[in-house]
Amino acid sequence: MFKKGVLRELFDGLFGKSWPMWVGGILLAILNILLFVIKYPWGGSGGYISIGQNLFQNLGVKSLGTSTPISLHTVALLNIFIVLGAFISSLFSKEFSIKVAPIGELVKGLIGGALMGIGATVGIGCTIGGFFSGVPALSGGALFLSLGFMLGTFVALRYLLWEMEALPKISMGKSCTLIPGTGKKTGWQRWLGWILIAVVLYIFSNYTAKGTALSKVLGWHVFIALILGIILQRSRYCITRAFREPFMTGEATAPVAIIISVLVVLIGFTVIKYFGVGNAGETAVRAIEMKSVYANFWLRALIGGFIFGLGMTIAGGCAVGTLWRAGEGHVKLWMSIVGFVIMAPVSKKFIVPVVEKTLPESLRYKVFLPDYLGYTGAVVLILVILLLWYMFVKWNEKTGKFSAL
Amino acid sequence: MQVDQTLDCKGLSCPMPIIKLAKTIKKMNSGEVLEMIGTDPGSKTDVPAWCEKTGNIFMEQTEDGGAFKFYIKKK
Repeated sequence: MFKKGVLRELFDGLFGKSWPMWVGGILLAILNILLFVIKYPWGGSGGYISIGQNLFQNLGVKSLGTSTPISLHTVALLNIFIVLGAFISSLFSKEFSIKVAPIGELVKGLIGGALMGIGATVGIGCTIGGFFSGVPALSGGALFLSLGFMLGTFVALRYLLWEMEALPKISMGKSCTLIPGTGKKTGWQRWLGWILIAVVLYIFSNYTAKGTALSKVLGWHVFIALILGIILQRSRYCITRAFREPFMTGEATAPVAIIISVLVVLIGFTVIKYFGVGNAGETAVRAIEMKSVYANFWLRALIGGFIFGLGMTIAGGCAVGTLWRAGEGHVKLWMSIVGFVIMAPVSKKFIVPVVEKTLPESLRYKVFLPDYLGYTGAVVLILVILLLWYMFVKWNEKTGKFSAL
Repeated sequence: MQVDQTLDCKGLSCPMPIIKLAKTIKKMNSGEVLEMIGTDPGSKTDVPAWCEKTGNIFMEQTEDGGAFKFYIKKK
């Protein structure tokens, strides 16, 4: 490809080594702010539900709800093109290969994905929509959802440690790696990456060329998802890790990276909500303020978050961590996508109504924190929580009090 | 280099390789060398970072055909 010179240097700089997670975090935060300006903060689980419902619909099962076609669903498009972006990025960085895990791990991927499908529909939101967007969107429910993620992660990590001792065979056994990016005759992988970039840009321009407000929004979601996928893969941005690592190795790198990125999103989202910026057709400031604020306060969010936390730790990736790892070729995470996509519509139809009946008060409260604390109070509350979390992970990194390994 | 034990983490993804690494090293004697084989690109940063945090010595890393080999000496 590029033999020598500045272009080669640039390419190697981008794809030769992983980026620090906090760098990826800041870039993702900026793109999340842009997504909000264009239409709605970044989310993940809504896309899985839509893809699942479309899948069931095409198989003739209409009782699980209907969804807009995938090609017209912004979040479903985000999910699909994040996988593609991460695939392209891993081809460029020679990190792509089809990594087939032992059968026990594949089953864990499927179960983890299914638990995430249940958790995201019960708690309304995943680590992206409910945490990375929900907390900076000043949603009260998001705080309980995040607490649920932490509790679920803690319990599932205990399970993994127990499994390693009691049932080590689950993670052992036959595995294989197909078409690796390193070794002989692998040059085609980078060329494939360039071809796929051209394909994505063609799809982007096709959407925008239609010229309607919706098609422009959809087109930009395709383009932004490509960039998100590349950033996610290069920085190995992992929210599961931020919740898990203090209780596992004790390393604070991931939690700190996530805290920094949430901080950036917080500034952007607060400005957008306070001034009622951006719309894509909306004029009511209140409608903008209530974006990423759901009727899940508080027990519903906590329970959903807990189930989701179990799932993401067993699968080894949250809604979005699953996507970029799937693009990198981890078959376990392909199974996680399958579990998520199948279970989310099923849970929405059969489990969520039971939860809503049991916890009717959760439907009454769509808690937008500034309604109770004012904008200043709400932002200060989030800052204090982030600061306490930061102090905890740094203290734990030194002392290892809560770390299992 | 004399390898005392080999740990196969091929096909596994985060967090399994690090959990296995930590458990295996725990059972080894000081000064012994572990060869860890994996395919998760995340291990390229995770393994050295874990060694630095725990004080074990990260000796060498090689890569071929999508598989990484890490050599770690127990402290």
